[in-house]
Amino acid sequence: MKNPIACLPLTRRDFLCRSGMGFASLGLASLMASQGLLSAATGTDRSISPLAPKGPHFTPKAKRVIHLFMNGGPSHVDTFDPKPSLQKYAGKLLPRTNLRTERKTGAAFPSPFQFQRYGKSGIEVSELFAHTARCIDDICVIRSMYADVPNHEPSLMLMNCGEARQIRPSMGSWITYGLGSENQNLPGFIAMCPGGYPIQETQNWQSAFLPGAYQGTYIDTRHTDVDKLIENIRNTSLSLAEQRRQLDLLRQLNERHQERRQHDAQLEARIQSFELAYRMQMDASDAFDVSREPKYIREMYGPGTQARQILIARRLLEKGVRFVQVWHGAGQPWDSHDDIEIQHRRLAKECDQAIAALLLDLKQRGMLDDTLVIWGGEFGRTPTVELPSPGNNAGKVNGRDHNHWGFTMWLAGGGVKGGYVHGATDEFGFQAVEDKVHVHDLHATILYLLGFDHERLTYRYAGRDFRLTDVYGRVVKELLA
Amino acid sequence: MRTTTPFFSLVVYSLLPAALHAAPPTDPQAIEFFEKHVRPVLVSKCQSCHGAKRQQGGLRLDSRAALLKGSDNGAVVVPGQPDKSLLVKVIRYDGDVQMPPKGKLPDETIAHLTEWVKMGAPWPEELVQAEALTLSVAEVRRTHWAFQPVRKPELPAVKKTDWVKTPIDAFVLAGLERKGLAPAPTADRRTLIRRVTLDLHGLPPTPEEVAAFEMDRSPDAYERLIDRLLASPRYGERWGRHWLDVARYADSKGYVFQEERRYPFAYTYRDYVIRAFNEDLPYDQFVLQQLAADQLPLGDDKRPLAALGFLTLGRRFLNNIHDIIDDRIDVTMRGLQGLTVGCARCHDHKFDPISQKDYYSLYGVFASSEEPKDLPLIAKPEQTAELVAFEKELAKRKAEVEKYREQHKDEIAKGNRKFRDGLRALEAKVEEWQANSPIAPPRAMVLIDKPMPQTPHVFLRGNPNNPGPEVPRQFLEVVAGEKRQPFRQGSGRLELARAIVDRKNPLTARVLVNRVWLHHFGAGLVRTPSDFGLRGDPPTHPELLDWLAATFMDNGWSIKKLHRLILLSNTYQQASSCDPRLREMDPDNRFLGRMNRQRLDFEAMRDSLLYVAGRLDTTMGGRAVELTTQPFSTRRTVYGFIDRQNLPGLFRTFDFASPDATSPQRYTTTVPQQALFLMNSPFVVEQARYFLRRADVAGQAKEEEKINRMYKIAYGRAAEADEIALGLRFLAEVKKSAEANKTTLPLSAWEQYAQVLLLSNEFAFVD
Repeated sequence: MKNPIACLPLTRRDFLCRSGMGFASLGLASLMASQGLLSAATGTDRSISPLAPKGPHFTPKAKRVIHLFMNGGPSHVDTFDPKPSLQKYAGKLLPRTNLRTERKTGAAFPSPFQFQRYGKSGIEVSELFAHTARCIDDICVIRSMYADVPNHEPSLMLMNCGEARQIRPSMGSWITYGLGSENQNLPGFIAMCPGGYPIQETQNWQSAFLPGAYQGTYIDTRHTDVDKLIENIRNTSLSLAEQRRQLDLLRQLNERHQERRQHDAQLEARIQSFELAYRMQMDASDAFDVSREPKYIREMYGPGTQARQILIARRLLEKGVRFVQVWHGAGQPWDSHDDIEIQHRRLAKECDQAIAALLLDLKQRGMLDDTLVIWGGEFGRTPTVELPSPGNNAGKVNGRDHNHWGFTMWLAGGGVKGGYVHGATDEFGFQAVEDKVHVHDLHATILYLLGFDHERLTYRYAGRDFRLTDVYGRVVKELLA
Repeated sequence: MRTTTPFFSLVVYSLLPAALHAAPPTDPQAIEFFEKHVRPVLVSKCQSCHGAKRQQGGLRLDSRAALLKGSDNGAVVVPGQPDKSLLVKVIRYDGDVQMPPKGKLPDETIAHLTEWVKMGAPWPEELVQAEALTLSVAEVRRTHWAFQPVRKPELPAVKKTDWVKTPIDAFVLAGLERKGLAPAPTADRRTLIRRVTLDLHGLPPTPEEVAAFEMDRSPDAYERLIDRLLASPRYGERWGRHWLDVARYADSKGYVFQEERRYPFAYTYRDYVIRAFNEDLPYDQFVLQQLAADQLPLGDDKRPLAALGFLTLGRRFLNNIHDIIDDRIDVTMRGLQGLTVGCARCHDHKFDPISQKDYYSLYGVFASSEEPKDLPLIAKPEQTAELVAFEKELAKRKAEVEKYREQHKDEIAKGNRKFRDGLRALEAKVEEWQANSPIAPPRAMVLIDKPMPQTPHVFLRGNPNNPGPEVPRQFLEVVAGEKRQPFRQGSGRLELARAIVDRKNPLTARVLVNRVWLHHFGAGLVRTPSDFGLRGDPPTHPELLDWLAATFMDNGWSIKKLHRLILLSNTYQQASSCDPRLREMDPDNRFLGRMNRQRLDFEAMRDSLLYVAGRLDTTMGGRAVELTTQPFSTRRTVYGFIDRQNLPGLFRTFDFASPDATSPQRYTTTVPQQALFLMNSPFVVEQARYFLRRADVAGQAKEEEKINRMYKIAYGRAAEADEIALGLRFLAEVKKSAEANKTTLPLSAWEQYAQVLLLSNEFAFVD
């Protein structure tokens, strides 16, 4: 499908005429035709089963993604972007004006955490992520991220959907739409968050105008019981054997129904969906049951909810789920406007060991090469202290405000350069100044690693060809291995 | 073929190798430079004279090809050599020719343009056909099929005249005959009554209705069937819901900080729509009321005010007014006109002749309208003690808001966060009280005109902080023509509404009849139902579309008459099976030589399950009910609470229309989560149990008779001998294994069997 005219509406129409499908396929089939995604799936079934595996534009480096979302905004100057200069100005105003963020900030606030060099690359990481730091030679640290505004809602939307205000599909939806899923017995895109939703809620994994099948399936990982994790995953009145007997009867009825009619892919697809669902009950139960992991693996990830959900995520990736997003918790846990020393220490402790374990575990299974790991929040935090304001952090002068001017994210595996630092913030960590990477650029790069030209992964809706990167984004080639 | 010419010419344009227009392979940084520093200048400062509409001196600056072509006098840019480029010279005001004439560009901008020429004038490769823009508005108006006046065409001559029951059939048959094809035979009566009942009511026919229709051999039996179905209130609940998809209906606002999330009175719009369909409110009136009921003489019955919910119940985008207005423009223009005007928010539409100025002309209409603080009552409630208590509490909460506002007016005016939040929290309590009190008398979510209408400015690149030229409030040039007049009355909303329902508007009736056709057949005559622009699909049967549109208007915009026209045609009554040769030649059924098999959508599926179980509550209207939690509501799905922020997984799984924006048509995906719901959800198991408890099932003494009755209820037909045998064998096996295991079954053998019948393809599809 490299033929350039494949992008044109004429082809789309032709394709539709041949495909014998109604509107259901129109978006999908037209996309696949126009984006050269027809290679893997054949016949009309692909348009009925929206998650059938599909091939991207070119050979991908990464086949699956795990996004560790530190929602609320982890502070970069306390984690992956050391700023010794802050010490010089501790308690004093910086020799530059404080950039405008959500709230007023004051004097320089040096990090209360110790930094240390790790690995062959000698990249400095703070004690908060001492475990993760041991994998630093596999990690590509982007210290020059920037976004558009210092507020959670638009920044979450930008990070997830590439657009701050309008309703657009999330990155996971785009990727599942482009690639389908390797395992039809599980949803292709799973979003996990213990205890409830992050702010902006399910919009963070919305499919928007893409079909509902590409919406992230939300899992509340506070639960450990599989019945509570996935809706309708088990029949509470019937055993599997009884249900099998029911489904055998159903198949007989459906076959009888179909014999009396002409071949119709819709009928066939629906028959298949019951068989898939039956298997999903087993596969899903298995995927979410971490007790099936050997003890040493569970110990490697450590105790607690974060460890459990990150381990579940690895099991899902192993089973062929395309995109797993792991949120730290409901609301905005990393939003340390005050008591940052206590809060950040607690938060990092909850996940650091498990993140390191994930990287090691993926590596030992040979999965790190084609699994892209993304770590970060929706923005970072100011190097200056947040001034107390009534109703917020009254009386406390020990936290940091939101900072979209510059922050850190890191990538690992999936074709990125390990042990590498890209870009830099200014002397104090207020603003990205060197080799700046906008969120759109990050998206373009992620899609590139997955085999997509971000300008060609499009979907026609309301008269326009939409894409994750809107009219922006460039692939940051320096990050590629 | 007249109408297809411009379309094909467009395609031909787009087939030109993209390289012809594009710069040599450009690096992303150069493109970023162009997008950031150059394109905005070209768009805002140059293209009004050197663009699609005007080409002063023969020069266009809206594509690289045009740029390189230069003006009538030759090249204006020598890539890489700014000093040899006329363009650079004129913007520097170096010679006689000085551009732009209104004033020299800032030095920084000149530097950017110079740098850009030095870089080789990079311009991103645009697969989009720059050529499409060379067609002026007037040309597109003259040539694109959708902008041609609606005429009532002559009926085409056909050979097989006895097949033609209605004019629709003549158009369809002529198309088939041209291809040497023949239509499918007429569906049998059982199929027909099941099809038309599910179509008009979203519910299957009862066994008695099937039997009566099969027995009725009078020539007008089918016609009377249709009339009976159209007269039932179940009709409005079904077809009103189709409209609610267009209206992106939801009962909540989307993401909010502190406000009440629910719209307490969204339901009054939903009920208005259902009533409008049931009462066959003429479509032109329906549109007028939805856009401007506040400006119509209504008399004593104020219920039509609720129609304005069409505009007001969209997502709130954290109260960003520009996004709210954008949503209103979109629902109006895509929903009623099939035009994607939203594309012109930041720049002229790339494909359709809709300018950014057009967008802001409409923007001005909505920016000159507002929602009043107190929504008007639309019914006089009876004064009960309960109501008095409700009103008392409401007044108290409102008074608290006013008191707070007064007490802290200085701080609030200064934007003090604490007091602003405090005020919002109190306001939320008012709305919360309305939302939580079922007794709250119904109110209409109206829009009214502001005291002073606002003259809009174009926002350059869609940025409200960057206002460009002023534009009048007026309708689109491509529809209203060059001689259009600015709106004069208030916001102009009523004038906008009248322009839309003007008989001469070429889009309104076409778009509507196509929507109706789409729901009857599963596919529209135009297969992009909300995009009738240059990139939409042209109609498969342009003359039929016109005939329907013209007849629809002649019939006083009556939707029920339109249904009758379509349903009485032989085209609609065809079987879904046909000559295999036809299926092969026309797999997509563009020639309509058979009926499309359709799957029940979410509402029809859920309602049918309840109906077959004998439990459907046919109470109409009122506040939304929660559908997904136990004890399960047995109300029709159209009355379910729709949370646009966190739409329940169940809705998404079954391809419910996204309530974020107007939805032209639902997807039909098949995913295992649908099967999981049917296999495992307590809701479906519950309906299977009740199915067996129906008196007419439970009362059957013999097992064979019971199975037979269940078939009649679920499928509208008797069970055949082998089907009965299959069922009996299943029941025996279940019972046997239960006895062997000495267990009592939580779900009896019969209940298990009933569930299987409800899971089958025969239940889920309509032939």
